[in-house]
Order: sequence, then C-alpha cells, then structure tokens
Amino acid sequence: MPVYLDHNATTPLDPRVLEAMQPYLAGPAANASSLHRYGRRARHAVEAARQQVADLVGATPAEVIFTSGGTEANNLALKGVLAAAGGGLAYGATEHPAVMEAAESLRATHPVSVIPVDGGGAVDPLALQTLLQQARPRLVSLMCANNETGVIQDLPRLAPLIQAAGAWLHVDAVQAAGKLPIERETLGADLLTLSSHKLYGPQGVAALVVRAEVPLAAVQQGGAQEKARRGGTENVAAIVGFGLAAELAKSEQDQRRAQLAPLIARLDEGLARLPGVVVFGHGRPRLANTRQFALPGWDGEALLMALDRRGFAVSSGSACASGSGEPSHVLLAMGHDRVTAKGAVRVSLGRDNRPEHIEQLLAALTELAAVPGAVA
Amino acid sequence: MIYLDHAATTPLHPQAAQALRAWLDQPGAQANPASDHAAGRELRARIEQARAQVAALIGAQPEELLFTSGATEANNLALKGALEFRGRSGAHLVTSRIEHRCVLDSARWLETQGVRVSYLRPDARGRIDPAAVLAELRPETVLVSLMWVQNELGSCLPIERLAPRLRERGVLLHVDAAQAAGKLAIDLARTPVDLLSLSAHKLGGPPGIGALFVRKRPRARLSPQLHGGGQEQGMRSGTLPAPLILAFGAAAAAAAAEQPALAARLETLRERLWQGLRAGIPDLTRNTPPAGEAAPQLLNVSVPGVEGESLRARLPALALSSGAACSSATREPSYVLRALGHDDALAEASLRYSLGRDTTAAEIDQAIQLTVAAVQALRDIARGVPPAALAATDPRYPSPVWQRFCAPTRVGAVAAAPEQHEIGTRAGRDRLWLGVWRDASGRVQQACFQALGSPYTIALGQWLCESLSAASGPLQPSAAIIRAALEIPEERAHCALMGEEALLALSPPVIPA
Repeated sequence: MPVYLDHNATTPLDPRVLEAMQPYLAGPAANASSLHRYGRRARHAVEAARQQVADLVGATPAEVIFTSGGTEANNLALKGVLAAAGGGLAYGATEHPAVMEAAESLRATHPVSVIPVDGGGAVDPLALQTLLQQARPRLVSLMCANNETGVIQDLPRLAPLIQAAGAWLHVDAVQAAGKLPIERETLGADLLTLSSHKLYGPQGVAALVVRAEVPLAAVQQGGAQEKARRGGTENVAAIVGFGLAAELAKSEQDQRRAQLAPLIARLDEGLARLPGVVVFGHGRPRLANTRQFALPGWDGEALLMALDRRGFAVSSGSACASGSGEPSHVLLAMGHDRVTAKGAVRVSLGRDNRPEHIEQLLAALTELAAVPGAVA
Repeated sequence: MIYLDHAATTPLHPQAAQALRAWLDQPGAQANPASDHAAGRELRARIEQARAQVAALIGAQPEELLFTSGATEANNLALKGALEFRGRSGAHLVTSRIEHRCVLDSARWLETQGVRVSYLRPDARGRIDPAAVLAELRPETVLVSLMWVQNELGSCLPIERLAPRLRERGVLLHVDAAQAAGKLAIDLARTPVDLLSLSAHKLGGPPGIGALFVRKRPRARLSPQLHGGGQEQGMRSGTLPAPLILAFGAAAAAAAAEQPALAARLETLRERLWQGLRAGIPDLTRNTPPAGEAAPQLLNVSVPGVEGESLRARLPALALSSGAACSSATREPSYVLRALGHDDALAEASLRYSLGRDTTAAEIDQAIQLTVAAVQALRDIARGVPPAALAATDPRYPSPVWQRFCAPTRVGAVAAAPEQHEIGTRAGRDRLWLGVWRDASGRVQQACFQALGSPYTIALGQWLCESLSAASGPLQPSAAIIRAALEIPEERAHCALMGEEALLALSPPVIPA
C-alpha cells in the first residue's frame, strides 16, 4: 500500500460521505427535475446539499451553482461574467490552468491581462493597483491558495483594491477549502470556486458560488436546471456527497489543521536538512498540507518515479498538466529558471497521513539526495 | 410506486453498481487519473478500459470518445465546438424543433453569435424526413444536429439513410443518441455519423457522466469549450471522475450485451401498454409512431377531455412525466407536442411512459389499470357522474384542496338543476359548472358541480357546493375568503377568483332573506 502524498490532486472519499451517498447510488432512480415523488425526494436532497455548501463559505443557497468540476466552475465564472457584462479580465500568473486557459480563450474577444507575482508567488499590491488603473478589468481572478506551492494569496488585502477599482473578484478556492477558513466576506470574493474531490467528497461535482448581484450568463446551455445558469441533469448522489463533505470540512477544519501541523513542521525540518534543496514559496504563508521542492541534480519526473518505486505517491506539480514535460508555469512566473522549475516535486498531505509517513518520506529523500538523479 | 420514467433517468445496472462499489469500497487513497504515480497510472489504464467498453457499444474506436459531464455538455460541445472551429459568422446549422432543450438552447445561443439556424418541422408523429434535411442544406451549412430517438415521443430518425447523404455533401452530422444507446443497435463503423452524444444515466450508468464521439477518420474537428489542464486530448479539460467513468464502462458493456433481447422485450411491453390503454380509453391519441418506427422503451399518449395536471395528480402510484424532466420545472406544455400540432390543452394532457430493463408485465398491467381509472374519474367529474374516490396523499397540494380533489362528493349532473352557472378562467383551460336548487325563499337547498380543470378547480367546485348547501348565513363573494378556506397558494390565486366569480353570479339570492 503506497503512502499517498498527493491530496491536492484528489482526496480519498470520506467513508461518512460515501454512507450519505448510498441511498442515491443504490435507491430508486430519480431525476431531480422530475415531478413525481422520487424526483421530489432527489430535489430535497440537492437543496439540502446546496445549503451545506453555502454554509462553508457564508453564502446563501441561491448563490450556489453546481457544476461538473472545478474546471467547469472556473470556466463558467470567467466566461459567464464577461459574456454577461463585457469588459476585460485580469488573472494571476500562478492561477490553475482552468483559470489560465479559460482566460486565454477569451483573449480574442476581451482584453486579458496577467497579474505578476513576486518570487514567493504572492501578488504585489502595488503591481495589482497599477494594472487595475491601466487595464480597468471588469473581472479579476485570483486563487486563494496555489495548488502547487501552497502559497496563500493575501486576499483580504488585495480584494479592497479590486473592489475600489470597480471590478468583481473571482476566487478559485479549490485548494483552500477545508484547509483554511474561506468566508466569502473575509476573502472579498464575488465569485468563488469549490471542488468536492479536493475535500474528501466525490469526483464529478463542484460549485461556483456567485453573489446575487453579479451578472452571469450560462455557458452550458440546456434545461432550466440551476436557475438556467447551468443546464444538465443534476448528479444527485455526488451533490449529496459534496454537501456532507463541505459540512465536515467546516466542522472539522480546526481538528484537521491541528493534525497536520506537527507533520508539516517535521517535513519542513527534514527538507531543510537536505543539502541544496529549494523549497518553493519558502517563508511565505502556505497551506499547512502542501510543500513543493526540488533536489539538486534531480529532474522532477525522475524524482517522482524514484519515490513512486519506493511506495510514495507524490506529484511533480498540478496533476492535470502531468506528462507534458513542460516546467510549471507557476514556478516560472515566480522567477525560477526552467531547470530548477523542472526539478519540482509536490508533497500534499491529508487526513490519512501519519507521522511515520513523513519519516519514511524523509528517509527516502535523504537517500535519493545522495545519488545523482540521472541514474534513478 | 411503479417507475415508468426511465427516459428521465434509469437505475444503475447491477454491473455498474458493482463497478462503482468496487471503486468506492477500495481501502485507502484514490488517485487522480492524471497523476503520474503508480496509483494514477493504474487508474488511467482502468479508465481506458472503460473508454473501450463505451466505444464498443456504438462501434467506435476508444480514442474517438471524449468523456464529458453528461449529454448536455456533449451536445453543447458538439454544436458550439464544430461551429466555432469552422467560424460562426454566416455559417449555417440545421436542426429540428423537437430536439432536446440543450441542443435548441445551444442553437439559439449560436444564433446570437452570427450562425443561421434552420429548425425543421416534424410530421404529426414526430418524424423528420431525411429528404427535408437534405432540402435544407446550403453551401454554408456546416452541421446537421438531430436526435436519434426523440426523448418524449420515441420517434426514430433514419440515421442510416441520412448519414451517407450528408457525408456526400460534406456536411457534419451530429446525433444526440442519449435515448438511443442501449435500446437500438448503433454501429458507427458502418454509419458515417461524425459526432454522437451519449449519457450514462440513461443506459444504466450513473448521472454526471456522458461522452461525445468525435470521428477520427475522416476527422471531425471541434474547438474545445472547457479550458484547463488539457485532459481528453485537449478537447475537454477537467479531472476525469474515475468512479463515474468505470461505472459508465460497466453499464455500456452490459447494455451492449443485453440490447437485442432488451429491445424486443421492451417493445412487447410497450405494445401491451398501448393496447391496454386504448381498450380502456378508446379515444386515446398515440403520439409515438408505430412499432418499428419508434424506440422500444417509449410510449407517449394524449388524453382528450381531461386536464393534464389533474391527470398526473390522479396517478400518484405511477412515476412518470408529461415530457422531458428537465423542462418540468417550467410546467409549460411540451414544445415537442406543440410542434406536432397539438393545442396546449391536449399537449398538457399527455403522459410519457418510459420503460426500463426492470419493468415487468405486471407493472404494465397495473399502469394500464391505474391510468384508465384516473381518466375515468376525471371524465366522470367533467360529465357530472360521482367519481371513484382516490386514497393517496400529495404534499404538493394543500390538504383542503387535495381531500376534495380525491373524493368530491358533490359531483352531479348540472343539466338537471333548475339554475345553472358556467364559470371559466380567462385562459379558458379550467371550466366549472354549478347546478343550484333553491327553496321558495330563494335560499340554496342543494348544489352540484361538474369540472374540467386542475385539482384546484375540482376542489373549488366541491367547496362551493358544500358551502352553498350548508350556508346558514351569507356567503361573501370574496377570493380572499376562498383562498384562506382552501389554503390556495399565491400562484394559484386565479382559482379563488373563479370561486368569487361563481358566488357573484349566484348572489344576491344566496344570502338568505
């Protein structure tokens, strides 16, 4: 049984969540839009889950739109707002590909600008201010915490600048949810993306939370589901699971952080002892479960494979960009050279990790750091 | 409860449930199939097996399938992706008036982007003539999008005849096969369809997953509509929901194995249903084409002389719909039935029975009996014959309405009464007739009613007769009082206005001297 250290890619399903999904997986079929009794039961379940998801971020249920995943939610946020309101878009240089690529697809029809980050992955308020004045975007998209480095954006400080410039703020909170408090008011988010399978819920469901006054055009047409903002039959079982996962993420957040704290402290301590190690975003506020680093002389993919053979499931960065052979755009945006960036390996911890997992990983890394990466 | 709404969604096939369970129950970490570690690679391999299973169901190559979140997304991607790739401005799209809402909405959206769209009219049974499709082609026609099996009617498009003709003309053909897959034999190796949409939860897989077939040779080209990590050959970004895909694969494999036998069995059951219904309701209209021209699982009928909402309310033991589930929220009569030339009232009084692999002959016989009884009761209420009472509950209706709707005791022949009143809503869909007997002083002694309308109208007739007969004092013609007495919600307030109108017609003599 490998040690799973890739929780930012996907988290295991919480058994309690599976339990809650069971009646909708095994029970009578129900399309939540059907008017008969089974359909109405499914509708109630969907609406209860909508409340649970809204509660996680301090929103109202009517502001929650269920989608098929974080990628769709991010696409809907960017394309939906610009289609409804026009104007330009600005996004952070270290955003997830779902934001970055969606934004770039809009370049043909809308002004699109990229907000630079500093060497620690943080958006500089002054640089943001300048860009807001020059580009006057209608929508700004910034992530709450980076999926690769774990670096946390200082949104409570940046959001007022965006608000003052008359732009709406979309926050991709996929990695932050369940790890940090993500009260929508505190973050200053007008739109906010959450994903179920990053917080111990099922895959195939996510949400875009949209403040009522933000205009949003549907991107996927068809049916009157989700108040005509997102057509498609509701994925009832997954939505129910997502709802409970969101509720647990809120109620158990402190406990989960407390459990991770000694693990990440030990990991930091151990990494610091590896000669020549580069820890990305070092010294910056980061998620308590995420560390991305490079070992000198090691290519990230090679190190990943070497760790894989020793029974550790880690990642070289964002899972969806895996195998492309390209260095991480996040690390390049932070000013790292291509070789250093290509050395990156990401460890992301979760509820199922134990102190001995960290010890085992550090032992393996110490061993690998002593041999040249090329022979691995 | 008899579930005859399999076209809305059908239960998980046992093999799909098993695949899902096997995945969900496996201890420890699950992986993101895009991850490069061993768990990710293993999962990727299993997803590719599932892709091959889905491909085999339709005679495609695995690499020709893109997984999507469902048929809605697949249809959106097919239409918008193909038109965006070819250039939307001035391009021409051919579709029909009876496509699924998501195709029609995508087409309307494309119109806002400069695409010209032709919406073909079906014949009275919902059939689209291939010749009419060809006649609609123009030099700038990029895409024809039509559904294989119409989801409300079951009518089949002769894709095998149409596809080669479109290929000759160099026009792409997209087929929404959400209702066809697993019910009809589909072989894309022999049928030159370019794009084809599938939905897992219509064929025994889970909701939340579907697929778009995109032909490789000759290559159908699309622009992606969801941008991100570049999964699915860059055509559809987003983490692949592994458990849903594995279950989809298992369901597709089962559907492929069971299709011929299932189709034959469903067709037999469907015809049994039709024969039984028609025997009990001789003037029933069949909207579904005859066997052989229709998918085996669907039967759509319209019932003249009854009102649709009351008809469905009288069938609490049947889970079925009047049309497509996704349009149910709007409660408007089906645009599909209106496209066939039905008026609103007849379109509303329609029932879509959709059968699935666990439907039994006994359930069909029960459904026949329940439907015939419901129609009989409503027709009795309309012609003034006391109907059989219905014992059921329905939380959607206020109790004072529901009780009176289920067991109206004051239904009687209004023509026999010395004094008669007819009251109707402005829209004319609800009619209420009151018959009144008075004593020498003009005081109402007895009242009866007939009604053709919603449960609210029937309950109103019953309440008026009860109140008039029992009136020891004046009955104030006030919609507010009637609303309060029957607990009529805001959106149905017009029914209370009907009651007010009735009392006004009867007053002042209602008030005892």
